[in-house]
Amino acid sequence: MLRNDASIRVRMEDISKSFGAIKSLERVNLTLRAGEVLGLVGDNGAGKSTLSKILSGALIPDSGRIVLDGMEVRFASPADARRQRVEMVYQDLSLCDTVDVAGNLLLGREPKRRILGVPLMDKRKMHADAARMLDHLGIRMPSTRLKVENLSGGQRQSIAIGRAVSFDPLVLIMDEPTAALAVAEVDAVLNLIRTVSAKGVSVILITHRLQDLFVVCDRIMVLFEGRNVAERLIADTNIEEIVNLIVGRKFQSVSAGPRPAAGAPT
Amino acid sequence: MTGTAPTLISERVPNDLRARFRLFVHDSGGVVSIAVFFVVMVAVFSLITDTFLTQANLLNILRQIAPLMIVAVAMTFVITTAGIDLSVGSVLALVNALAAISLQAGVPWPVVVILMLAIGVVIGLVQGFFVAHEGIPAFIVTLAGLSAIRGTALLLTKGYSIPIDPQSPFNEIGRGWVFGVPMPAIIAVVVLIAGYVVFNETTFGRYVTGVGANAEAVRRSGVNTERITLSVYAISGLAAAMAGIIIAARLGSGSSNAGGGFELDVIAAVVLGGTSLFGGRGTMVGTMLGALTVAVIGNGLILCHLSPFLTPIVEGVIILVAIWLNFRLFRTGMRAT
Repeated sequence: MLRNDASIRVRMEDISKSFGAIKSLERVNLTLRAGEVLGLVGDNGAGKSTLSKILSGALIPDSGRIVLDGMEVRFASPADARRQRVEMVYQDLSLCDTVDVAGNLLLGREPKRRILGVPLMDKRKMHADAARMLDHLGIRMPSTRLKVENLSGGQRQSIAIGRAVSFDPLVLIMDEPTAALAVAEVDAVLNLIRTVSAKGVSVILITHRLQDLFVVCDRIMVLFEGRNVAERLIADTNIEEIVNLIVGRKFQSVSAGPRPAAGAPT
Repeated sequence: MTGTAPTLISERVPNDLRARFRLFVHDSGGVVSIAVFFVVMVAVFSLITDTFLTQANLLNILRQIAPLMIVAVAMTFVITTAGIDLSVGSVLALVNALAAISLQAGVPWPVVVILMLAIGVVIGLVQGFFVAHEGIPAFIVTLAGLSAIRGTALLLTKGYSIPIDPQSPFNEIGRGWVFGVPMPAIIAVVVLIAGYVVFNETTFGRYVTGVGANAEAVRRSGVNTERITLSVYAISGLAAAMAGIIIAARLGSGSSNAGGGFELDVIAAVVLGGTSLFGGRGTMVGTMLGALTVAVIGNGLILCHLSPFLTPIVEGVIILVAIWLNFRLFRTGMRAT
């Protein structure tokens, strides 16, 4: 299924990482194609976050290698990863609440104009640029002049994603982007993920909301106690199978999948 | 960007006029409330005293307010980064004393001015280093500064007031008039306008707000946040030195006792104006109104012939009530909706 072809954007091979005596990851492999949305799932402590932090440069693996577009890379810091166009969306770490939408999207690279030799922010251009960025991704926003603190959770998440996308990433990692959102907002964020991947960005989506995986993902990778246990194309699997793979045994969940027939043995 | 797009993000912020007005009040509620409070204070003092609303007194207020206004502008930057500078009164005193000492020693007045401003900047940079680079809370660093810097001023003057030659052109900085306006007032207005432009229109001002709101986000976007934090303390040192020079020139002497409790007036003015002590939210217009209000209250209470022992108590109560109203009416109230 995963041959050595040119469309493979990221290959993580034999990644291991221990924290003291605890082996968080043991010889884990991950493959990600261009424009693909990969769902990364597993129970708490299965190693999803550790793996994504290694890819985004926040953690350094004990062993293993990362190949990006055919070249081996080493990330010593998140800045290294960003230079290689691997972006991670952290909502809490990327937005300034008291700054407006345009200011957040363009933070750190505000367009300027000179008046009497003094460099001032070109606010008109900022709002125009920001509106273009939002339109480009199909993000609806009442105004680019709104302060981010006045936005809903889904709108904030969209701004954080829009900002990450504006750095033209090859790989975008999202950790629980739909947690604690209202239903309509989840749809909007999932739509945005699809828009982003349609532009050729590879997306890794970490989530506990398994139903989301079946809406946006092309493939699902399951981790169990720091090891690869399964990879499934969306077409070849269903929620029940994924749940069983996550918990590592046959499991009758009352919260995921169809209800068991009345009177069925539990 | 209206109409129904396929990717509809549920809109919690409706677009109608009433909602927009509510948003405006939410964003600038602090400024609206302090403006109302200021007008009320002016009205009250105009009614209960005959002397408040006279040209002579208003010009007097303008001249007296200059040091407070200048330092409050700088303090707005500091507080917006979620910092504080308690040392401004002490820097004012040190510069005040040193200016008189160096003028007495025969240093030409333009050199004295430049030297004093430089001292203010250097003190700010030293304090800023401990806050920005070493991560020590600003409250502690500048509290130490408050003590040590005034101590230095006391040591230099041995507690005496040092006269400045009345013929020196230096005094014009505090006493001069330009087109019927006191020189200190003109300096204050220039500083206020510059502060407004830098705070609202430059990337530096934007990053100051950003550092107070979410320093990590600003750092991640490639901005040197340590330099931003360092700069606001340098600005505040510079402003305090300016205030020290103006007061020395106005009084024609330098004293280590100048500016006692000055830092509290400045902080009161800034917070009264609606700048949040938690950072990320600052307003220059609010600071201007806050400083005017503090000055009007001080001046008005004196004109009411209130006992000087009662004045600080009344001042404190008025400021607390104003800030309390501001919080109640415009912050928590709006948050709940």
